Amino acid sequence: MNWKNVARLIRIDIKSGRLLRGRRLTRFRENRLYTYLLYGGALLLGLAIGALVGASYEATIATSISLKTTVNQVAMDFFFSLPTLVLIYSLVFTMFQQFQRSGAKFSSQAAYWLPITWQEHTLASIVANLLGYLLASIMFIGAAIITFSLFIGEIALAVSTVLAMCVSAFMASAITEIFRVLQARFTGAVYKSTGRAAVWVRFAATLLFFLVFYIVYFYLVSGSGGATFVKTIASGQSSAWFVPFVWLGMTLYSFTNGLLLQGLAFVTLSFVFIYALYYIAVLLNRRFGFYEPQAITVSSGIYAPRTGVLSRLGFSLPEAALIRKDLKAFTRRRELMVIFIIPIVVIIAPIMQTLGKTGQSTPTRGSLFLFAIVFLFPASFMASMTGSFMIGEEGQAVWRLYSSPISAKSLVKAKYFFAIFFPVLIMAITGCIGLVVFHPSLRVAFVGLLESLFLVFAIGAVSLSNGIRGADFNEVPRPRMVNPTWGLLNLIVCFVVAVAILSPFIPYELSSFMPSLGSPLVGLYQAFLISAVIAVTFAVVFYRIALSKAKELLTKAEA
Amino acid sequence: MTTDYSIAVELKGIVKRYGEILAVDSVDLSIKPGEIFGLLGPNGSGKSTTLKMLLGLVTPDYGSVNVLGMHVEKDPVSVKRLIGYVPESARLYEFLTGIEYLDFVGDVYGMSTEDKKTRIDEYLKALQLDGRERDMISSYSEGMKQKIALISAFLHRPKLLILDEPLSGLDPRSARIVKDFLHELKAPGVTTIMSTHVLEIAEALCDRIGIMYHGRLLALGTMSELRQMAKLPDSGLEDIFLKLTGTGDVRAIVEELLK
Repeated sequence: MNWKNVARLIRIDIKSGRLLRGRRLTRFRENRLYTYLLYGGALLLGLAIGALVGASYEATIATSISLKTTVNQVAMDFFFSLPTLVLIYSLVFTMFQQFQRSGAKFSSQAAYWLPITWQEHTLASIVANLLGYLLASIMFIGAAIITFSLFIGEIALAVSTVLAMCVSAFMASAITEIFRVLQARFTGAVYKSTGRAAVWVRFAATLLFFLVFYIVYFYLVSGSGGATFVKTIASGQSSAWFVPFVWLGMTLYSFTNGLLLQGLAFVTLSFVFIYALYYIAVLLNRRFGFYEPQAITVSSGIYAPRTGVLSRLGFSLPEAALIRKDLKAFTRRRELMVIFIIPIVVIIAPIMQTLGKTGQSTPTRGSLFLFAIVFLFPASFMASMTGSFMIGEEGQAVWRLYSSPISAKSLVKAKYFFAIFFPVLIMAITGCIGLVVFHPSLRVAFVGLLESLFLVFAIGAVSLSNGIRGADFNEVPRPRMVNPTWGLLNLIVCFVVAVAILSPFIPYELSSFMPSLGSPLVGLYQAFLISAVIAVTFAVVFYRIALSKAKELLTKAEA
Repeated sequence: MTTDYSIAVELKGIVKRYGEILAVDSVDLSIKPGEIFGLLGPNGSGKSTTLKMLLGLVTPDYGSVNVLGMHVEKDPVSVKRLIGYVPESARLYEFLTGIEYLDFVGDVYGMSTEDKKTRIDEYLKALQLDGRERDMISSYSEGMKQKIALISAFLHRPKLLILDEPLSGLDPRSARIVKDFLHELKAPGVTTIMSTHVLEIAEALCDRIGIMYHGRLLALGTMSELRQMAKLPDSGLEDIFLKLTGTGDVRAIVEELLK
C-alpha cells in the first residue's frame, strides 16, 4: 500500500469540489476558507452546545444525587448508542452522496490506468466519502460530548466514543463502497435483461431508493422518531450483540462496565469486520470497478417520427422537441428523479408520523389546515424546484441550445410549460389524497384547487427566472443545476410570493378562528379574487423577467 | 431574412478579450460561398473563439461579424437556422438514444417529418450507426458520439458548416465519407469552416487556410500562397505551419528531452 497515493487520490476528490464552488477557472486560486469554516464552525458549535448543556446540568441536576445518577446513566446509554447511530446516519448519508455523484466518473477514471492499486483506490474512495458534511457532523457531535463529559466526569468514555464514531463512519463508508460497485454491476445486468423496459426499471428503482432513504432519514431526524430510535438502540444493543453493526457500541459498554475480555473480543471483532468489508470492497472493485455504461435499447421497430400532442396544443416544433427532451431527461436522469420524491416525502412523512403518534382523528380545523398543506405545498415546492432546475439541467450539452435556432421566447415557453406540468400532476394526486383523508367541503376543495394552481403558475415563473439567472452547467462531481446562492434566494422569493398570494385569506381565517372579531373584512370569494390578481401579476412579471434573462443567456453564451 | 450573399462569412476587425487575455486580436477574414476553409493554430490561439463568434455564441468586443448576408448579433436565430455546428468535444444529451437526439435536432431546425426520417436513416446507414441508434448515447464510444454530432450538423442541409475538429475519433471509413461529403457539398454552395490539428486533413481538404497565433490571423491563403509566404516551395503544411508560427525549433526540444 502506497499511502502517498491514497493521500493524493483523496486530495483529488476534495479538489473536485472546486468546480462546484467557483466559476473562475483561469488563474485559479484555492480558497480554503469554506473548508475551515465548515470544520471550525462544527467544532465551535459542538463546544458551545456541550458547554451549554453541561452548564445547565451543573446548575439544575448536579445538586440532586438521584437525578444526577439517572441523567448520567441516560448520557452513558447515549454514548454507547452513538457509534451505531453514527453508522446508520453515515450509511444513509454516504449512499445518498454516492447516488448523486453521477458525474464522478469523469474525474476519477484516471485512477484506472495510472499505477495505482485497487487497494489504494478503494481506501481513498472510502475515506473521501467521509469528508465534508459527514466529518463536520462527527466533529460537532464529538466536540459536544467531550465538552459535556467534563461536567459528568466521563472524559475517557467520551474520547473512546468519538474514536468509535470515526470507526463507525469508516465502516459505513466501506459498506457504501461495496454497495456502489454491486449496484453498478447489478443494474448493468438488470438493464441488459430487461431490454426496453430498462428505462422504467431504473425510474422505479431510483424512486424506491430515494423514498426508502428519505423516510429513514426523516424518521431519524424528526423529534419523536429520533428519540424512539435512540431508546431502541440503547436498550436493544445487548440483545443484538451478534450483529456486527453494534459491536463498537458493545465495546464501549463492555469496557465501561469492567468487562475487559468481552470488550477486547468486541473491539477485535469490529476491526476484523471492517477489514473484511474493506477486503470485499477491494475484490469487487478489482472485478467490477471499471465503469462501463450499459447499452440501454429504448425502442425497437421502424423509426417513425410523430408530430405529437404538443404540436396540436399550439407548441411550435422546436418548443415541442424541447418539452419531449426534458420529459425524457426527468424520467431517465437519476439526479432529476429526486424532484418527484422530495415534495411527496417532505409532506407525507411528517403527516404520517403525526397521525401515527396521536392515533386519533384530527380535529376539523386541523384537518382543514392539513388539507391545505397537502393540496398547496407539494405542488408549489415542486414548481420551485423544477423551475429553478430547468435551464441548469442542460449541463454541458447546453451548447446545443446555444447553437440551435431557438428563440428566447420559445425557450421560456417550453421550459415554463415543463416547470408547471409535473407540479400540476402532483397537485391532482395530492389533492385527491387530501379529499379522501380530510373530507373538506366542496367549497373549500374548489378554492384549494384554484389557489394551488395560482401558486404553481406564479412560483413556476418566479423559479424559472431565478433558475435562468443562477443556472449552473457544471456536471462534475455532480450536476448542481442551480448555484446555491440563487437556489436559496429562489426559495426565499418563492416563499414571499406564496405568502403574498395566500395573504388575502388571512383576515377571513382570523375571523373564523376568533368570532369576537365579527364578520370577516373580506369574504371568501373576494379574498379568492384578490389572490388571483396577485398570482397573475407575479406570474406575468416573472415570466417577462425570465424572457429577458433567457435573451441574455442565449446571446452571451460565453461561459 | 435575406439569403442573397456573395460572401458567406465576413469578419471585420474583430477583437475579443477575456480579462487580461487577448483571445482574438483584430481579425479580418472573408470566406466565399462553397469554399472549404481551414482554421489552424496552436492550442489557445483563438480558433474556437473565432468559430463561436460566427454563431453568435461569443460576442466580439469590437468589430462586426456577418454570416450569409446577416448580422449575427442582430438576428442570431435566423443565422443559426442556416448553420450546422460541431463543437470541439461535443457533449450530447446522454440520456437520449441516438435517434431521439437526431429527432430532437431535426425538430429544433423545423424539418418536416418525412425529410427528417429519410435523412436520419440515410446518415445513420452511411456512418454505420444503424443498429445502435436506439441505444442510449451514454453507452456510445467517443467516435459514435462524434458521428451523431456530425449527423446533427448535416441533417437540416445547412448553408454553412462550422466544424471544430470534425474527424476526431472517427474510424477511417467514416472519416473518408465525411471528407468526400464535405467536398461534394461545395457544388451546391455549402461553405465549410473547419478547425483541426491534423494538418494532412487540412492540406487535402481545404481550399484556403488561415493560421492563427496568439489571437492574430498570421497567414491566410491557398497552399501555394502559404508556401510562398513561408519561403518553403516544396514543403508540406506541417513545415509551413511550424515556420510561420515560430514553433518550428522542435529538434532542440526533442534533444533536450532525450538527455
